[in-house]
Amino acid sequence: MGKVQTIVVVALAYLALGALSAYFAYSNEGAWGVWLASGFGLGLLFVRERSDWMPVLAGAFLGAIIFEPLVGSSAFDSLVYAVIEVAVTFAGGAIAAQLSPPPIRFMSPKDVGAIVAGAFVLALTGAVIVGLWDDLSGKPEAWRTFRVWLVGNFVGMLLVAPFVASWAQLRLKRSGGLTMSSFAGGAVACALFLICLYELFSASPAGRFLHSLGVGLTYLPFVFFVLVALLWGTRGATLAALIGALIAISQTVRGLGPFVGGDGIFGDTALNAQGYAAALAMTGLLVATLVEAQRVAAARAREWKTRFEAAIGAHGLIAYEWAPDSGNLVVTGDTMHLVGLPAQKLSTLADWLACVAPQDRDSVAARFGQRSAGGAADTVRYAMLGPSGARPVVDEARAIHDHDGELHRIVGIVRTAAA
Amino acid sequence: MSAIAAPDAAFLIHGLGGTQYDLGSMHKRLKNAGLVTYSLTLPGHGTKPEDLATVAMEDWVDAVVSKYREIRDQHPVLHLMGMCMGSLLAAVLAEREHHAKGNLIMLAAPVYIDGWATPWYRSLRPLLYVMPGLPQRMKIEEEDPFGIKNEQLRAIVKAKFERGENFHYRWVPLECLRQVDRLRAMVMKAASKIRCPTLIVHAREDELTSLRSAHFMVESIGGARARMVILEDSYHMICVDNDREIVAKNVLEFVGAALPGAGSALANEPRMSAQELTAALNAVLAKLDTGDLGGLRELAIPDLSWVQPGVNALSGVHVGKSFAGFASRFSALGNARFTAFGTPVFNRGVVLVPTQLVASNDSARLESPGALLFAFYAGKLLEARWFADQVELEDAFFGKPPAPDSTAVALDAAFVAAAVEAKTLTRAPDNATLLELYALYKQADAGDVRGDRPSVLDVVGRAKYDAWAQRKGVSRDEAMRSYVALVEKLKAQEVTA
Repeated sequence: MGKVQTIVVVALAYLALGALSAYFAYSNEGAWGVWLASGFGLGLLFVRERSDWMPVLAGAFLGAIIFEPLVGSSAFDSLVYAVIEVAVTFAGGAIAAQLSPPPIRFMSPKDVGAIVAGAFVLALTGAVIVGLWDDLSGKPEAWRTFRVWLVGNFVGMLLVAPFVASWAQLRLKRSGGLTMSSFAGGAVACALFLICLYELFSASPAGRFLHSLGVGLTYLPFVFFVLVALLWGTRGATLAALIGALIAISQTVRGLGPFVGGDGIFGDTALNAQGYAAALAMTGLLVATLVEAQRVAAARAREWKTRFEAAIGAHGLIAYEWAPDSGNLVVTGDTMHLVGLPAQKLSTLADWLACVAPQDRDSVAARFGQRSAGGAADTVRYAMLGPSGARPVVDEARAIHDHDGELHRIVGIVRTAAA
Repeated sequence: MSAIAAPDAAFLIHGLGGTQYDLGSMHKRLKNAGLVTYSLTLPGHGTKPEDLATVAMEDWVDAVVSKYREIRDQHPVLHLMGMCMGSLLAAVLAEREHHAKGNLIMLAAPVYIDGWATPWYRSLRPLLYVMPGLPQRMKIEEEDPFGIKNEQLRAIVKAKFERGENFHYRWVPLECLRQVDRLRAMVMKAASKIRCPTLIVHAREDELTSLRSAHFMVESIGGARARMVILEDSYHMICVDNDREIVAKNVLEFVGAALPGAGSALANEPRMSAQELTAALNAVLAKLDTGDLGGLRELAIPDLSWVQPGVNALSGVHVGKSFAGFASRFSALGNARFTAFGTPVFNRGVVLVPTQLVASNDSARLESPGALLFAFYAGKLLEARWFADQVELEDAFFGKPPAPDSTAVALDAAFVAAAVEAKTLTRAPDNATLLELYALYKQADAGDVRGDRPSVLDVVGRAKYDAWAQRKGVSRDEAMRSYVALVEKLKAQEVTA
């Protein structure tokens, strides 16, 4: 995307998300329940090099300076809000980039930490500036402004920024990625999550302990939501969290759902809904990121295994690890070529000895016995029975000891030898 | 010697975003079996992925039709073979040209794009096609598992992609998939009109296109003409994955080709008259009589196999490239040669010739009687085996096999790797460098220059010959080292460019 396109897209997204945020404003208090608009710019900063940030910040400035007059701000106030918008977005992006250099790929808990920190810094910086401004201007509710700005922005950033960051990295693939079966499973889980959540947040305060399913469903949405994160990954989790959170907040500001009518832990109905949304967003991010981290770790382990097998295979070697205490044997290498059996069939010393030529079997068994008694490194020559007859091999073994010097494992390399 | 009838041929078509790499070693195997192979680089391929954005399905069809018409009349039999999208093109070609001069072989044909690893949004692509400008700009990337089940092969392919090698595009424009979709629709209509015998090879676990595609083709063409082979241990790239040998075997059987080796030569007609067989044998014996084993390569298939018995410096099975090393050792060890040829005994394409292996050095002379067995097919030598009456005489004369020389092994490996690397240079070197590459490769692979110098009219052939001749006398190791160094230098230049 070119610079001008980026500026226009960010500004348009700001306006759209600002309008959506206005829809979720506290209906009875005229305050913002959640501020989503800054999240688009912040999300883009998460995936761009710092040298690429300027068009995003310019788009945020443009969006803010257009949006503010639409909600009644004066020209001067609009300009100040637009400058604040740029400053806080930059601050959030900079902190996140410091913790996890862009692009954030949702591959480790550190990435989640960077996103949460970036969202929090954006919210806090804005809340401090606006709170101080109100205070210095002699407005009576500076503390309330600070609190509403902080929470509304923090929740909004947690919902929108990771959503934008993950979807901005979507690459269409010919093969690979999320398969149709995972997609279908995730779709079912997502539908159940949203149905349960809607049911939970549709219960009226008067009826929720009588004829409503609402209370019984308080925790169930999280079960389905975790399934969504497991099956759909970060993109699906952020999408579901965004929709779910907007349902929760919109129903709450309409006077419905479990947080209406009671003091709740935060003592504020909307604040409880915001806390619920934040918990939802962070749970999804953490689960999806941990799954991705596990997938990456498994892929790396596979790569190591492939490299190891390629190296010993290229040299025609067989590697083994024998645990004298349990008798378990783990063999790697082209055993089919040497003894005509897959490595998995050689899982005990007895299996190995059965492949040793009869005339050598007793002496090899005795040698392993000596090794299990803690013998030093040794090399032994014997013959193994393979598909094309007996083959002479050289078996070089080494002992691995624990911290007390006790024998832990015998590891060895077997290679074919000249007759 | 009477002229040998034109051999059978096969026209091989690669897949979307690919090159002949898609077809693995099928070219070589078909050549070994005596077939002439043809291929083409489809429009938009072999350069950069962006070039595919403006290519229409009709361009690919026109290209294969044009090539087909160019070669059709040169051979009594012409088989069509395609991999992935290439198989769709082969099917369209067979239907459009009423192909009856040979068989059709469809490898991993993607009539339906519904494999297990295709992404969930695959069905949404028609929506994207209608958005102006988007199909040309949107990239569709290739990712794990890259069509390969074998993890070691997959690691190699991944590394090639990461190095930016030009054997397969890392991505294709969405527009390309639109063209493939159009081609799939065309194949669905045309399949029932295909009249030639057809072999359909498909992996059960193909991640891109399920077995439904293979079933569709068999049902459309009809069980009487279509034969299906299902592979159990491969993904989409069946010519390079775990089942590649099964693919090759089935393809060779389906085109009625001989497999290299004396056994198959006995089982198959040699496609040579008695005179042709005698002439081919005489040409081989003439080379052996002068001790020029290296010269046999001109008379043989690329994977000529020579079996030398005993436990000595010459023993072993020497196939393909390793035959070059064997041939040079053979001459170097006491000027060895075969002589005193007796009356040959013919049986189909196999000939047994009594003879004697002679050699001498300062202290000893070897005279080892025995017999040579040759297998011929379509005018080419497939295999030679030496049966010594007293192999211990040869063991004593030639000495024990040398201990493996890790340096030599490493050099061989580096040379083979460099030869592969050289084919993946993204920028073509200048003509002087190309000639240097050619000359060093030939010197390392075949030794000193042989054959007649091409005429002045054959400018390219003459330049190549002269470049090779300039390296005359350079040892094999030295040529290999120079070749490896040159390829490394060219690759390094690409990286820094």
